[in-house]
Amino acid sequence: MMRLAALVLLAVLAASPLGVRPSTPPVAWLATVALVVGGVGVMAWSVPLVTAAASLVVIAYALALVVAGPAVEPLAAIALGTTLVLLLALVHLGDRLRGAAVGASVIVAQARQWLAVVALGVVAAVVLTTAAVPLGVALRGATLPVMVIAAALGAVLTVAGVIALVAREGRRV
Amino acid sequence: MTWRPTALNVSFLTVVGWALFLAVLTGRVELAVVAVPAVVALVAGRRAGAPPAWRIRRELSTARLLEDECVTVTLTLRADGPVPLVELLEPLPPRVGVERGRHHVFFTLRAGQELRWTYDLRAAGRQHLGLEGPHVRVWGPLGLASAEAQYRVPGTVAVYPRHAPIRHVPYPRRTQTFVGNYVSPTQGEGIEPGDIRPFAPGDPIRNVNWRATLKLGPLHVTRHHQERNADVVLLLDTLSEVGPDGETVVDTVVRGAAALAAAYLARKDRVGLIEYGGQPRWVRPGAGRAHLERLLDALLRASVVFTYVDRDLDLVPPRILPPQALVVALSPLLDQRFVRAATDLAARGFDLLVIAVSPVQAARAAVRPSAVADVAARLWTLERRAELDEYRRRGLTIAEWDGIEPLDAVLAAFGRRARRRVLAG
Repeated sequence: MMRLAALVLLAVLAASPLGVRPSTPPVAWLATVALVVGGVGVMAWSVPLVTAAASLVVIAYALALVVAGPAVEPLAAIALGTTLVLLLALVHLGDRLRGAAVGASVIVAQARQWLAVVALGVVAAVVLTTAAVPLGVALRGATLPVMVIAAALGAVLTVAGVIALVAREGRRV
Repeated sequence: MTWRPTALNVSFLTVVGWALFLAVLTGRVELAVVAVPAVVALVAGRRAGAPPAWRIRRELSTARLLEDECVTVTLTLRADGPVPLVELLEPLPPRVGVERGRHHVFFTLRAGQELRWTYDLRAAGRQHLGLEGPHVRVWGPLGLASAEAQYRVPGTVAVYPRHAPIRHVPYPRRTQTFVGNYVSPTQGEGIEPGDIRPFAPGDPIRNVNWRATLKLGPLHVTRHHQERNADVVLLLDTLSEVGPDGETVVDTVVRGAAALAAAYLARKDRVGLIEYGGQPRWVRPGAGRAHLERLLDALLRASVVFTYVDRDLDLVPPRILPPQALVVALSPLLDQRFVRAATDLAARGFDLLVIAVSPVQAARAAVRPSAVADVAARLWTLERRAELDEYRRRGLTIAEWDGIEPLDAVLAAFGRRARRRVLAG
């Protein structure tokens, strides 16, 4: 059942770039490779393989956006982001539960927890997207190099901050 | 307990890194939005509160059992606070399998909820089955953090060698002074009728043999043989070992010794044990159920300790190896040191029976079946037969046992009558 759910999530994930630009060969190839790699990862409950598939989907999605150049559509991006989170969490749980006895309430409790986190993520994405609109208007006059540098700096700081948070020494209890 | 990030963080960071890098590279805001749920998940995953305090109790259904029997392990857990996902794993010692249930479980707990977790373990070989305590791992939200600890709840089960009942034990040549089940040559109080002699003052009237009295005239009485017990010393060869783990010749020897000890003790004999190996150990002859447990405990530890040292049974004190005792040696007869020791005992007049445990079956179980292995096994069997004949010529009384057929059937040929014939020949 969990494997079926993971395969459905993977299919949704692989279909996201095709939804933007279905007929471009590189996008379709990348999505297909991501589907195959992710499928193997789900069958083997391998988090690294599913991570590789998720990365391929993100690359295919970026390629599709660049080639098609559609109008900004944050809802599809939020759906893609939440699907990624759910898929990785589900495969990780499947890997952990392998060969073990599982209590009746475990899956329900986990699903509730994931949905809470994902809902938080959706709210954060909506808030950030909404806040970005007036910011975009304010920065309309800025030059491209400044924008690129600011965006890169923001990305690097975000990743570094998350890494620092994750790598922080565990709390002694 | 300490919260630690799991490998899933790397996966999330990889996706976030790709999304943000491509967002900057392509200038598409959607890619930055893709990263937001993952970033939120990474931050939320770190917000795991302090793991709750645990109370773990373990119960074992028995403290001692025989090989291939099951012990039920019951773990009772109680957490002070709610736990969304907790993982328990009880590490199993070698040669122990789970018969029913699982020794690895996931569950959720509400505050104050008590959980009972039961599973059955089966021990495949004799051992002190030691369970140290379960590993408890509490998982944070989305599995991004975990806290782990091992709870020391030690529990030990003694897994004794299995032994089939033996009805035909080898009879001893000499008996001791205590009451037992063997008919002694000496006459006195007993059940087995002996000689007939004229009545003497003091003889009980119930011993009068009326038939002989009528035939011979004066009163005659029937004398009786005394029923006495015997001292039996089990001599174990732990100098060499052949076969797969749990089914070695030493395991077979130990099972045979356990069966013989139980059979002799049931006949009120005193049974002792000498482990003749790299590290000689012995148990003084004794009787009773408590002594059987003492012997089984000693057999539990019987193992091969490699040594070049040639041990001499002269060093064994007479109270451990009484001169009148029946010595039953169990050995694969692979090590010449044991053969020399057994031959020496027989030459010194000990009542000795050697149960030669065949190592061929054990060796075959350890190798892959093939035509070459079949031929080698047959050749080895022939060589071994010649060797045993040579040992018999040296004066050893040998019973061959392959470890598969019941020991009782092997020993039936060495009962009282057959053994006398052997000694007479």
